[in-house]
This record gives sequence, C-alpha cells and structure tokens, in this order.
Amino acid sequence: MTDPKQDITEREAIEQAKQGHEAAFEVLYHLHKRRVYSLCLRMVSNPAQAEDLAQEAFLQLFRKIGTFRGESAFSTWLHRMTVNVVLMQLRRKGLPLVSLEETLESNDEAPRKEFGTRDVRLTGSVDRLQLQRAIDKLPPGYRTVFVLHDIEGFEHNEIAEMVGCSIGNSKSQLHKARLKLRDYLKFMRAEKAKTG
Amino acid sequence: MKCSDVERVVPEYVDGALKGAFQIDFETHLKSCPACAELVSELKLIASEARQLAATEEPPPRVWLRIAAQLRGEGLILESESAPSQPILVPTSPRRRWSAWWLAPVAAALVVASSYVVTHRPVPQVAKRQAPASRMTSPAAAASPTPETAAAPSPVVPAPAPQQLAKKIAEPTRIGGSAVPPVVEPAPSEEDQQFLSVVSTLAPSMRASYENELQAVNADIRETEAYVNRNPGDADARQHLMDAYQQKALLYQIALDRIQ
Repeated sequence: MTDPKQDITEREAIEQAKQGHEAAFEVLYHLHKRRVYSLCLRMVSNPAQAEDLAQEAFLQLFRKIGTFRGESAFSTWLHRMTVNVVLMQLRRKGLPLVSLEETLESNDEAPRKEFGTRDVRLTGSVDRLQLQRAIDKLPPGYRTVFVLHDIEGFEHNEIAEMVGCSIGNSKSQLHKARLKLRDYLKFMRAEKAKTG
Repeated sequence: MKCSDVERVVPEYVDGALKGAFQIDFETHLKSCPACAELVSELKLIASEARQLAATEEPPPRVWLRIAAQLRGEGLILESESAPSQPILVPTSPRRRWSAWWLAPVAAALVVASSYVVTHRPVPQVAKRQAPASRMTSPAAAASPTPETAAAPSPVVPAPAPQQLAKKIAEPTRIGGSAVPPVVEPAPSEEDQQFLSVVSTLAPSMRASYENELQAVNADIRETEAYVNRNPGDADARQHLMDAYQQKALLYQIALDRIQ
C-alpha cells in the first residue's frame, strides 16, 4: 500500500494517471512544470503566451499518456512535445524559425563590435537577468536555436529535424546567436559601468 | 592557424567537437592571440551560463487549474466515485481536515480585498489594506481599511525573494515617501502560515511545489504593490495586482481542494 505522505515515483504517477487519477496528473505536472514553462518562456519571451503553451503541452501529454510505454524517458517525451507545441505556434504566427539574417550574412563571420565595447570583457560569471534580457533581444530564429541548444541541450541534428533546417544552418545560427549575445552583454556591462 | 581560421571553427571548439591536430593548432593560436582567446573564453562563458537557465521559471497556479479543468471536461480525470478507494495523496491526520475550512473564506476575502485595493487610492492605505494578516479573516474586514497595521507575529519561513510587504506593515510611515529601500524578508502572514501548515501534510514534492508557488505569488504581489505605490496612475499595474491576489486565492483554493 502506498504511504500517502510519501512521494510516489514518476512511474507510479504515470500508471495512475493512465487510470484517470487527478492527483497523479498533478504530480506529473509539478515534477515537470518548471522545465516546460521555462522552455516556452525562453522561446516566446512572453509570459502570457508561455502559460498558454505550457498548458497546451501538458494537455497534449496527458491526452496521450495512455500510449506511453516507457521506451524513452518520460521527461524526454514531454520535452520534445513542448518544443513541437512552441514551434507549431511560431509557425502559425508566421514567425521565422530560422533567422532570415542567415541568408543575407552568410559570409559575415567576424564578430561585430558595433557598440564600442572593445574594452569590456565578460569574465567570471554572467548576470542571469542580463543574460535573460539579452536572449529576449535576439531575433526569433537565433533565439530558437540558442534556447534549444545551449539552454535545453538538444543536439544540432535534433534541432535541424525539429526546426526544418540543415545541421550546418543550425550551427551557424547558434554561432551568430552567441556572438550577438556577447555584444549585448558587453553593451549592458559598459552601460552599467558608466552609470556606476 | 590564423585568426580567420579560428573564427571559422570556434563553434566546434566551444562545443567540444574540435579534435586532434585541429584542436592542438587552435589552442596554440589562442596562446599567442589575446583577441581570439578572449572571444573563445566569452563564447564558452555564455554557453555554460545559458545551461543554468533551464527550468528556472515557475508558472502561476492558474496554469494547473486550467489543465485540470480541461482534463475533467474531456473526461480524462475519473470522478472520485469511480476511482479506486485508495487515495494517492491525502493527509492522514483527521485533526487537520477541519482546519482547511478557513481557506475558503480567506480565498474569497483575498479577491474582495484585491478589488478594493485596485479601485481605491494607493499608498499608504493600499499597503495597510493589503496586509494578508489577521485583517483578512472576513470579507467585511478586508473591505474596510483600518489605520493600524498590526503585523502578525510569526516565525520566519526562508524565502529567496526580497519582500517589501512586511516592512510596509511594520513601518507604515515609510510608505508613500521616498523610494522604498531594499528590504529584508518578512515573516509569513498568519494565513500563509496556516496554508503552509495544511500543505505540510502532503507528500514532500507536492509540499515543496505549493511552498514555491506561494513564494512566487507573494513576491509578485510585493513587487507589484511597490510599483503601484510609485505609479498610482498605472491602471495596468493595478489590474496586475488584482490578478496576483486572485492567483493567491486560487492557490488557497487548490490546497483546499487537495485536502478535502
């Protein structure tokens, strides 16, 4: 008999959710809500939209939970589902999943020091809030690849498949995203140094 | 290896995909080129710091409520009569069940209080009225602002976010003056303590989840209150504050549903 004051395992929650136990659904929700919501928020940079997308991701998961056989990790399954929900939304809105700048600047690989921040260095650690703000400033296509690779840990072949681009394009987008973030962060540091 | 070569393969190096002779040549170049070394160092820093951002944001309580409502509507959640008799997560102590009933009027009071707050003048009345302490035990009390600001004495529950509400409660003369100074964490209100006591009967992961949600919604209320105090004419901020109070009421309601 399960001790009601003890956590049930994820596997137990999955089996009980298949039988329609609300509490089991809630356990699964609480186990994964931060990962799902954070992913949605980083991709769309809008809390209200992120809530809707997180809700939709969990609903899709719970509707299909009866088909989950445990061949892969549950979190991986949910993770992929969440990414697909977000990408579907971006496609519906007509937003480019791959940055249009790629087609215009394919030969421009040199970092651009347009903010005059040559003397500012990024050392030690990066302020999390500043990094979040910088990510929000990225063009949607760069942000998508950066979030999926550097934050969420997907490989380029997975990103290429999900987003619908080549592996080389995914790598290029990521590199450009990091260069832009570097510029943004240096600019923020320079501004902060000026104001004291 | 030249700088132009380095820039072409730096993505592979940052991701650990550059091997063998290429890696050796690359690193040899870095030793003699401060600009490329700085570039590589900074890109690696960004990539590593980004990883820390995964799973850091907490969704508001309403997300789960909507999911649960939709699941019920689609018939994916069984009604309690048809579910197996063994509950999954319920408090074992009957003594605690009766104490959950206070949550319902408190939840209602929070919504009423938020409406009053949003539609009336801010600072300092807002700050005093918003005290989620003993004043909110009845809707009538919540709707009637009183000049005193008795803060409920209570043990401190550790919370990471700065909390301004308790300082406003404790030091009402500071409110409405110059910029609110950085604050220390206040003690939780009596209602919050009771909420925490109720959810303490749940399984550890669920308890932690409810505690985190309470922290998040309290932090949102505090920050929005401070903003409204500084910008009393901002209707959007007032509405956001009302939403935040309603979120807290929802959280109490969820806990009530869980315990019943």
